[in-house]
Amino acid sequence: MSNAVKIAVGVLALLLIALPWLVNPYVLQVFMLTFTYSMLGLAFALTIKVGLPRFDLAAWFGVGAYSTALLMLKGGFSFWPALLIGGIIAVVLGCLIFVAAMPRGMMVFLMFGMATAMTIYQVFGTVRFFGGWSGTGVVPPPAIGPFTFVNKPELYYLGLFFLTINILVYHFLYNSRIGRAWNAIGSSLKLASSAGIDVVKYRMANVLIGNFFVAVAGGYFVAYSLVAAPANFGFHHSIFVMMYVFVGGLAHSLAGPIIGAFVLTFTPEYFRIAKEYESIITAIVMILIIIFMPMGILGLYDGRIRNRLARIKWLRRESRSEPEVPL
Amino acid sequence: MALLDLVNLSKHFGKLQAVSDLDLSVTKGEIHGLIGPNGAGKSTVFNLITGFFPSTRGRIMFEGNDITKLKAHEIAQKGIARSFQQTFLFMQSTVLDNVMVGFHMSSRTGPLREVLHTPSACSKDRECRQQALEIMELMGLGAQKDELAGNLPHGHQRALGVSIALASNPTLLLMDEPVTGMTPTETQVMVERIRKIRDRGITIVLVEHSMRVVMNISDRITVLSYGRKIAEGLPQEVRQNNEVVEAYLGKEEN
Repeated sequence: MSNAVKIAVGVLALLLIALPWLVNPYVLQVFMLTFTYSMLGLAFALTIKVGLPRFDLAAWFGVGAYSTALLMLKGGFSFWPALLIGGIIAVVLGCLIFVAAMPRGMMVFLMFGMATAMTIYQVFGTVRFFGGWSGTGVVPPPAIGPFTFVNKPELYYLGLFFLTINILVYHFLYNSRIGRAWNAIGSSLKLASSAGIDVVKYRMANVLIGNFFVAVAGGYFVAYSLVAAPANFGFHHSIFVMMYVFVGGLAHSLAGPIIGAFVLTFTPEYFRIAKEYESIITAIVMILIIIFMPMGILGLYDGRIRNRLARIKWLRRESRSEPEVPL
Repeated sequence: MALLDLVNLSKHFGKLQAVSDLDLSVTKGEIHGLIGPNGAGKSTVFNLITGFFPSTRGRIMFEGNDITKLKAHEIAQKGIARSFQQTFLFMQSTVLDNVMVGFHMSSRTGPLREVLHTPSACSKDRECRQQALEIMELMGLGAQKDELAGNLPHGHQRALGVSIALASNPTLLLMDEPVTGMTPTETQVMVERIRKIRDRGITIVLVEHSMRVVMNISDRITVLSYGRKIAEGLPQEVRQNNEVVEAYLGKEEN
């Protein structure tokens, strides 16, 4: 990473850690939402990398949330094992669907994705076991020993923790041989196959890893919402997730979704006072960004700002000689 | 025993017979030319060998093993590599990163080790980078290792395609029109490189439109027309074959 990026990340990290002392709890709540949606966006960027735009993320988000909630309420599990099992359920189910859909081609895969999201939404609403349209009962907050995550700063740090782990895991994956294989698959299927890369296997690993972390995001959602209700896991959330990635910048698999999630979560909150006009304003913001920054917000950085910063030689200096996947 | 044996190989696309009853043997260590007018089925043969299409009939034997039903990546793992006619490269990555993809098979240490960047994974990575640089030197790309593939001139992009194929350490290299679109100087350089590749012990099957190149470099030549073999033998024999001349009559020669 160049010195410029290191400084930016360092400052950002400090700000995020110090945030509870700097802003009121309401703003922390919005950050918690941003963390959740960032994780969804990161998973979408993950699968875009191998050429699979997936429509089913809302489903796995819901699966994670409901698994965590129901395992705690009806199974007597505590938060952390419930979270883990929720992730595993998302992986197993995702595996079955992938194996059924992928061999039948891209179109079928996409359709299955949409169908999965819509079906699971309906299942959560109608099947009585899941509590119906008003959702599950109230879930106890997560705990480590005697310490419970109840107030906003505690839940905020929990979210920051999950997001950080998510970013780190993806970062290590992207910069490994596996990440290179994924890049190859995303760039040229033919070239990847000729190099001995089993495209189906690597795509499946990619999708299932995304499933796991999206389920974890669902578990975190339950941690601060204390309930799992179908309205939060509708198909339209799958579409929103794509917007985070496009607005943030498709070329940046880690920073893009986070910036996109930040912008598209704070904008509606900021314009909340406009009440029914809020969605119009958000839509206009999205459209403006797509028109003027087709490569996303980070695309703007890539274009002009990076060139200006590059003139400051010290900022440009690399500390590692090995090439890396861009943040 | 032949290194590669195509036995009665056929491929139909609906009513279109792309390849019909092809018998072809490639001996280990030779440079085998595969020529024919446009539409003769040469690229289809490559696609069949490398597993991009399933064949309609016939068998493909490699080193004595039947590889007819294998998938593309499995065939690559058996030791058959291919450079493409179209330029399939990772345009946004550096030349070195491109070649590193070719090392996918040889750099495996295990998923957990790769993700955690353990010392063994990292040293394997360094080894592969060394070999990548060596291959790039051979193909004349040494100076451009950090250049973006998309910024390279056409001739260098072709050389990069060959480099990626070489990186997978193949026993058999299928080259699909390696000098098409190159200047005479570039062509001459590439011909020399192809010889060097053969000298490393890699068997080569070469599809090329440039008659001069094919006649110059091949040990044996097979000629296809409308999916059928119409001639085979030493370059001098093939050049004088009446059917071959007829097949090319009116077609542009390089």
